[in-house]
Amino acid sequence: MNDRLPSRRRVAAVAAGCVVALLAAVLCGLAIGPTPIPAGRIAGALLAGIGLGHSTLSPLASTIVWQIRAPRMVLGLLVGAMLAVAGGTYQGVFRNPLADPYLLGVAAGAGLGATIAIADVGGGLTTPSWTPALAFVGALVAVVLTWAVGGRGLHSGTSTLILAGVAVASLLTSAQTYLQQRASTDSLARVYIWLLGSLASASWHSVVLVVPYVVVCAAVCVAAGRALDVMSVGESESRSLGLPVARVRLIVIAASSLGTAAVVSVAGLIGFVGIIVPHLVRLLAGTSYRRILPLSVVAGAAFLVLCDTVARTVMAPSELPLGVVTAVVGAPVFVLVLSLRRRVVA
Amino acid sequence: MSAVEVVGLGVRAGAATLIEDVSLVVERGTWCTVIGPNGAGKTTLVETIAGLRRAHAGTVTIEGEDVARLGERRRATRVALVPQHPVVPPGMSVADYVALGRTAYHGLLRAPSGADRRVVEGVLERLDLARLAGRDVATLSGGERQRAVLARALAQSTRVIVLDEPTTGLDLRHQVALLELLRTEVAECGLCVVATLHDLTLAGQFADRLVLVDAGRVVLEGPSREVVRSAELARSYQMDLRVVDVDGADVVVPAHRGLTAR
Repeated sequence: MNDRLPSRRRVAAVAAGCVVALLAAVLCGLAIGPTPIPAGRIAGALLAGIGLGHSTLSPLASTIVWQIRAPRMVLGLLVGAMLAVAGGTYQGVFRNPLADPYLLGVAAGAGLGATIAIADVGGGLTTPSWTPALAFVGALVAVVLTWAVGGRGLHSGTSTLILAGVAVASLLTSAQTYLQQRASTDSLARVYIWLLGSLASASWHSVVLVVPYVVVCAAVCVAAGRALDVMSVGESESRSLGLPVARVRLIVIAASSLGTAAVVSVAGLIGFVGIIVPHLVRLLAGTSYRRILPLSVVAGAAFLVLCDTVARTVMAPSELPLGVVTAVVGAPVFVLVLSLRRRVVA
Repeated sequence: MSAVEVVGLGVRAGAATLIEDVSLVVERGTWCTVIGPNGAGKTTLVETIAGLRRAHAGTVTIEGEDVARLGERRRATRVALVPQHPVVPPGMSVADYVALGRTAYHGLLRAPSGADRRVVEGVLERLDLARLAGRDVATLSGGERQRAVLARALAQSTRVIVLDEPTTGLDLRHQVALLELLRTEVAECGLCVVATLHDLTLAGQFADRLVLVDAGRVVLEGPSREVVRSAELARSYQMDLRVVDVDGADVVVPAHRGLTAR
């Protein structure tokens, strides 16, 4: 019988491919834009940054690269890595291939928070500059609410928690829709732009804000890979194998939700990354979460920066919504890999 | 010290009482099979012995330790479970699947040690799974798969192993093969086995002692031959049962109407 298990060599090749994609994404993110800067010079400047050789960038080019493009590229890396690893973690902990980072209401909560800030429903109490803070708070409130409603699910399967997530998301989305209806046309447009996701407002400040969340939360998710592999035999069997299921669930759901809330608060609701990247990695490198999660970090980071490069260049000087690009670029790639793999297995 | 001691055990699910006042003792190096009609409480009993259900009354001790007070990780080094319907994750190699049995030893953040790997290799060898080590566990046949599940439980290196209907879905040859494997482990490694089985003939042939449960209570407990030939057995199953001696082995057959007419 044909085996579906990927060989070590194949896993190594996939890992190498992810790293190459990441390097390519970094170079594209820094080199491509209204002012063309040769990739060779960017590479030289990057190497100079770690003490190898010296940079040949002009002062203007240097400012463009380090103050405009680099923060956006770095934020893209962080957002992509976090969304992908959170998606993979959710798929493992809920043993559900359709799970994505927004499963427990993070997106709906963040959307409501952002709408409150942008649409100024507080009658001057809130300002658009509060958007990240209110989106972050909204996302966390949503998850905590889901937890409070469906928390029993932590001890008896996860379906209660998922259903609670659906209910909370519907409630918060309807509240957000109501506010949107009452908003002015101008702020409505800005709400839509936020909802579709964008890295346009990236700065070193937003990078610094998000870095600690992403580093800690992604590290916890990656470290949970072995536990998620054990969990793949179901709740009662993993308990009999010595896994403290309820505690592991609590920790990994908290980490992936917190990390997702942080990146959503600065980048808006970028869909598709959290579901497509872990699945792509799974198709190519096998079903073990010890491989899926670390590779998703790298692949997710590369994927989002490449998508963002497309988003800000194809219709320059205006930008495409990042969520649209991730879906348009991601879906065909996903279908292609799916059909190729089916042929290989057959 | 006995391997397993159950004293006055009671388990409820909501308002329903699943088992009540069950007591039994299983010695080291022996095999005890729990028999009884559907809904008697067999699965509940063995799951509680394995520490997966909470009892509202009584205690289960494994090698002198109260199972309810053991943490998950420690418990997994004391008692292993072969469930009735194991979940077989696709895309996992047989070797990795069996190695899950070592989780409690190396923990969740560390890779299996050399000793863990040697235990896994030893079990794969003993259960004739070494040649399948690299195969996807989801592609195994029913018999091979059940052996892999048993191997995972044996890799836990526990003194006590609990099996809930381990022969479900296997043909007769594979049923006997699996039970013989287990008997070898009992004889050679001093393993203590607590199992549930529907097949009364196999239950009587492979166990040292049988425990007959009905409606959540122990009806009869004793040496296999006595329980198989008891009047209580037929009464619990609410049917006429005949025990035929075939070359010294008891074979239990139902004496239903079709059989007596012929």
